Amino acid sequence: MDLNKLRETAAGIVSREDVKYLIGWRRGTFGYRVSPYFIEDAAGVEELIFSPLCISNLATYLTLVERLPVPRGQQPDERKVALLVKGCDSRAVNQLLVEKGINRDRVIVVGLPCPGMVDWKLLAEKYPETEAPVEMRWQGDDFLLVHNGQEIVVPRAEALAEKCRLCRHPNPVISDATVGEPVQPWEPAEDSGVGEIEAKSAPERWAYWEEQFSKCLRCYSCRNVCPLCYCEDCILDRLNPTWVNRAFNFSENTAFHLARAFHLAGRCIECGECERVCPAGIPLGRLNRKLAKTVREEYGFEPGLDAEGEPFQASYRPEDPEEFIL
Amino acid sequence: MTEKPKVGVYVCHCGINIAATVDVEAVTEYAKGLPNVVIARNYAYMCSDPGQLLIKEDIKEKGLNRVVVASCSPRMHEPTFRKALQEAGLNPYFLEMANIREQCSWVHEDREAATEKAKQLVAAAVSKARLLEPLTSREVDAEPSALVIGAGIAGIQAALDIADAGFKVYLVEKSPSVGGRMAQLDKTFPTLDCSACILTPKMVDAANHPNIELFTYSEVEEVSGYIGNFEVKVRKKARYVDVSKCTGCGACAKECRLAGRIPNEFDEGLGKRGAIYLPFPQAVPAKYTIDPEKCLFLTRGKCGKGPKCVEACPAGAIDFEQEDEIVSFRVGAILVATGFDVFDPTKKPEYGYADYPNVITGLEMERLVSASGPTGGNIVIHNGEEEIVPKDIAFIQCVGSRDKSVGNEYCSRVCCMYTAKQAHLVKDKIPDARVRVYYMDVRAFGKGFEEFYDRVRREGIRYVRGNPSEIFRRGNKLVIKVEDTLTATPLEDEVDLVVLAVGLEPRRDARKIIELLRLSQSPDRFFLEAHPKLRPVDTATDGVYLAGCCQGPKDIPDTVAQAKGAAASALIPLARGKVAIDAQVAEVNEATCRGCGFCVSICPYSAIELVTVNRMGHMVEVARVNEALCKGCGSCSAGCLSDSIQPRSFRDRQILPQIAALGGTR
Amino acid sequence: MSEQFEPNIVAFLCNWCSYAGADLAGTSRIQYPANIKVIRVMCSGRVNPLFVVNALQQGADGVLISGCHPGDCHYMEGNFYARRRLKLLKELLEYIGVDPRRFNMSWVSASEGHKWKEVVEKAVEDARAAGPFNQFRRRQIGW
Repeated sequence: MDLNKLRETAAGIVSREDVKYLIGWRRGTFGYRVSPYFIEDAAGVEELIFSPLCISNLATYLTLVERLPVPRGQQPDERKVALLVKGCDSRAVNQLLVEKGINRDRVIVVGLPCPGMVDWKLLAEKYPETEAPVEMRWQGDDFLLVHNGQEIVVPRAEALAEKCRLCRHPNPVISDATVGEPVQPWEPAEDSGVGEIEAKSAPERWAYWEEQFSKCLRCYSCRNVCPLCYCEDCILDRLNPTWVNRAFNFSENTAFHLARAFHLAGRCIECGECERVCPAGIPLGRLNRKLAKTVREEYGFEPGLDAEGEPFQASYRPEDPEEFIL
Repeated sequence: MTEKPKVGVYVCHCGINIAATVDVEAVTEYAKGLPNVVIARNYAYMCSDPGQLLIKEDIKEKGLNRVVVASCSPRMHEPTFRKALQEAGLNPYFLEMANIREQCSWVHEDREAATEKAKQLVAAAVSKARLLEPLTSREVDAEPSALVIGAGIAGIQAALDIADAGFKVYLVEKSPSVGGRMAQLDKTFPTLDCSACILTPKMVDAANHPNIELFTYSEVEEVSGYIGNFEVKVRKKARYVDVSKCTGCGACAKECRLAGRIPNEFDEGLGKRGAIYLPFPQAVPAKYTIDPEKCLFLTRGKCGKGPKCVEACPAGAIDFEQEDEIVSFRVGAILVATGFDVFDPTKKPEYGYADYPNVITGLEMERLVSASGPTGGNIVIHNGEEEIVPKDIAFIQCVGSRDKSVGNEYCSRVCCMYTAKQAHLVKDKIPDARVRVYYMDVRAFGKGFEEFYDRVRREGIRYVRGNPSEIFRRGNKLVIKVEDTLTATPLEDEVDLVVLAVGLEPRRDARKIIELLRLSQSPDRFFLEAHPKLRPVDTATDGVYLAGCCQGPKDIPDTVAQAKGAAASALIPLARGKVAIDAQVAEVNEATCRGCGFCVSICPYSAIELVTVNRMGHMVEVARVNEALCKGCGSCSAGCLSDSIQPRSFRDRQILPQIAALGGTR
Repeated sequence: MSEQFEPNIVAFLCNWCSYAGADLAGTSRIQYPANIKVIRVMCSGRVNPLFVVNALQQGADGVLISGCHPGDCHYMEGNFYARRRLKLLKELLEYIGVDPRRFNMSWVSASEGHKWKEVVEKAVEDARAAGPFNQFRRRQIGW
C-alpha cells in the first residue's frame, strides 16, 4: 500500500471547498490501537494510515453524526463527507444508499482494496501490547509487525481476522476513487462457525447461546458500532411499547439479540464490528452470519452489492421458499 | 387529554350458543377483576335491542369510555356494536370484541377449558381496549359509474338496472357476443318459453342503452383502487374486423377457406364455423370476428393467393393490422357476473363420454334440440355412417354434482329440471321415443318445478332410481349398467343416445378474476359472498358485488333476482356519490421515521410516499401516508425497523398487551 | 401426577382468510383443542416477527401464524412479505436452539375450516411435544 498516494488523494479531496472532512484512520495512542480520524484540511493527511490494523468500519460515522438543530436563518452544513472504505466497508455504504440512510451526492467514497486485516487480540497473545503504538504493514501474503523495534513476519494464517478469512469482497464494490491495485479475492474459509452450531442438537444450541447471551451487559456497543443500526430512536430503547425490558437477564438479553439480528437480516454486510467491540466476547458474528447465509443460499441475495437494489425485507419473490408453511 | 380508561365488558350468552359451553357468569366475574374494568355484565343476546341498550345506558350512566363485547366474531357484529357506541355518543372505535363463539364455544366441548379460554380472550380484549384511540372515518367522492364483468343474463340484467338508474355502465364480455350461457339454451324450464326469445331483446337493449358502453371480445386486465374509485384497464382484443364498417352481412364467412371446418364453441362443438365467424345468428353485436388461432393468414402469414374474406367484404372491414387496444376508465363499483363452466364428463371415464360420440352433455343436447342449432332442432345422431333418429334415449343425472370423487359435493340445482325439460322435448319431437332418466333424487324445489316433473312423468318418461356404474358399446347400441335401487334389480339398458346431466362448475379461469379483485372462494370453489345469509351479493372487497352462477349454481330466475340485487347494492355508493374510507389506516411518526423507504416499497397500494420535511433546520425525508389509498393492512409496519409507521387500531402498543394477556404475563 | 401438559399457543390470523376460516370452523362446529388463542390482525403482513419472540417471552409455548394462500391475499402481497420475514425468524429461532415445534405457519383460506382444525391440532401437538418453554420467560420484576 502506497501511503503517499493515499495521502495525496486525501489531501486533494479535503482541499475541495465542497468537502467537510475525510474519515480515515490514524495510529492509536498505544499498542495495536488505531483510531478513526477526521481530517478537515490537507495538513492533516500526514497522520493518515492504512495498515492491517485498520479493521474498524468507518461507514458507521456517516450516520452516527450528530445533527444539531440549525439556528433560525442559518443553513445546515451540507458539504460532502469523504470516507475510506475497505471491501466490507463499501458494502455498508451501498446498503446505506439502498436505505436512503445517506445521500449519494453527499459522500465521496475512497476505495481501498484490502488484502486482509489482523485480529490484534490474536497477535497480542504472542507479542504483548506495548506502550508505544506498533507499526504493521502487508508483506507479500503475510504481515510485517514492528514490535519493540523488532521486525517480525507474522504468517497470514496466524493473525488474519475471522471476518477476513470469510471475506468474499476484498475489493470495494462502490468508490469514487480507488487507491491501490485490486487484490485477488481468496477462497473464503468454510468454517464460519455457523455450520458448527447448526450441527449441534437443539438443546445444545440453546445451551450454547444461553451461555453467550447470559454474558451480555447490554452495553449496546454492538448496536452503536454497527453501520446499519442507525435509527435515532431504537425500538429496543422504547418504553411504549416495551419490546425488551431494560433489565439485563437472560430472557431480555436474548430478546434483544434476536431483535438485533433479525433487524439486520438481509442487511448485515458482515463487517464483524459488533463482535469485535463486544466487551463480553459474544460471538455475534455467528448470529449475523447465520441469517446472511440463509439469505444468500435460499434467496440468492447478498446485501450491499448494489446501491440501486431493493431492500431485502421490503421485497419478495413469488417463488420465495415456503416449504415450512403448512 | 388522556382520560383514564373505564372499560365495560359485556358477555353474550347467544342463547345457549355460548352459554352452553362457556360459563358466562364465571367469565363476567373474572372480567370484573381486570384492570380498568368498571362494569361487567352478561346478557342473553347482546346484539338485540335490549342488549345494546345495556351498553348504551352504561356508557351514559357509568361514564364508560371503552367497551368490550365478548360474543360472536367481530366479522359478524363489529359494525352493530360500533353503531351502538356511536349512538351513545362514544367514538365507535372504542370497541373491542372477544370472539368467544366461533372461536371458542362452538369449537370446544370441554366447558372448563372453553371457559378458561374465554377468560383469556376477554383479558386480551380488555388490554387492547384500554389502549384504543378515537378514530374518525372520512368520506371521498364516488365515481358515478360501474363495471360489469360478464354479459350473460346476470351481467346484462345488472347493467340494464344500473344504466336505467341513470349511471354509466361499462359492460365487458370475453366472447365476441353478449348472451352467455342462456343464449345457448333452447327452452327454459318449467315454463318452456323460448330462451332466445326472452333473452335477445335484453341483449339488444344492453347494446343500445345510452348509458351502457359495451366491450365485447374484451377482458379486464387490471383493477386498482377501492370502492368509489376503481381504476380499470380493459383489453379490447383485436377482432381483425373494423366493427364500425362491418355490417354483419356474412359474405366473408361464406368465403373463408376454413368455413365449416372449425368446431363452433357456441354449439358446443356440434356445429362448425370458419376462421371468420359470428358465434350465432342473433349475436350482439352482429359483427364478425377472426379467430387468430385458426385463421390461415394470421397463423401462417399466407392464405392462398390472398385472404378471401378481404375480397368478399363489401365494406372493406377486414383489417389484419388491427392490434389489441387497452382502454382505461374509472368506476365506483364492480359487479362480477362471470358465470360457470359445465362439468367435464371425461373426469367420469365410466360414462364413456370421450369414447362414444353418442354420449353427450346436457348443454350439447340444448344445441341439438335448438331450432338455431346445428341440426335445426332435429334430434339426430350418427350411427356409424348413418344418420338416425334415436329411439332409446337415457338421461343420467348428477354427473359431476353431489359427487365427492370429482371434488364437487354440491348440488348444481338446475340439472334435475333441465333433464326433465329435455326429456319432454325429446318426447315432443320423437313421440315414439322411449326415454329413461337415471337419478339419485329429484330435486324439484322451485316455483312450478314439482308440477313440471309430474307432467313429464305423465308423458311417459320413466324415472329409474340408480346411479349407472358403466356405459359400454354393444353393436350399434350403448349399454348402461345400473342397479334400480328401488327394486334392487341390476339392469342393462340398451340405448341409442345418452345425455349426461353435467353439473355447473366455477369458470376454469376464475383464478384471473380472483387475483384481479382479491375475491375468495367458498369450499365449492365458487366466489365467496361476504355473508351467506345477509350479504349474499357482497364480497370481502368493498365495492365488488357478485351476480349469477359465479357465486354458485342457480337457475335463470334466481340469477336475474341476484343480478337485480347486486345492481341495487352497487347503486348504493353510486347514488350516494360518496363512500366512507376506513379510519383504521396507517400513520407515520415523523419524528422517528428515518426515511428509508421500506414502507414505500412494501405498500401494495402505493399509498406511501417520501416527503421532505424540516427537522430542526435539516431537510430530511420521511414517509407520508395517503389515507384515501391506504387499506390498513399494516404490512408496512411489520417492515419498519423503527416502528415509525403503524396501522391505527392495530399498533404495536395495542397488540403487545394482547400478547401479554394471552401469554399469561399480563 | 401424570396429567398431560397443555401448551399455551398464541396465534396471529389475518382477518380475511385465516380468521374467516377459523370462524367457518366455528359455524361448522368443527372441534379442536382450546389451547389456541387468536389475535386478529388485518393481514399476515402485519405480523412483526418480533411478535413471535415477544409471545414466547411472555408465556406462549408455541406460536402460530396464518394467512391467505399465495395469490389470495386480500391486500395482494402482504402474505408474501410475511412469508419472507417469518422464514428468517424461524431460521433464527432454530439456530439459537428454540425447538422448531414451537413455531408454525400456515395458509388457511376462508373456506378451509377443516384445514384450520388440522393446523391447530398440529400446532398443539407440536408444542405439547416440545414441552413448557420456561427457559425464555420474561422475569417479572417485583419491586
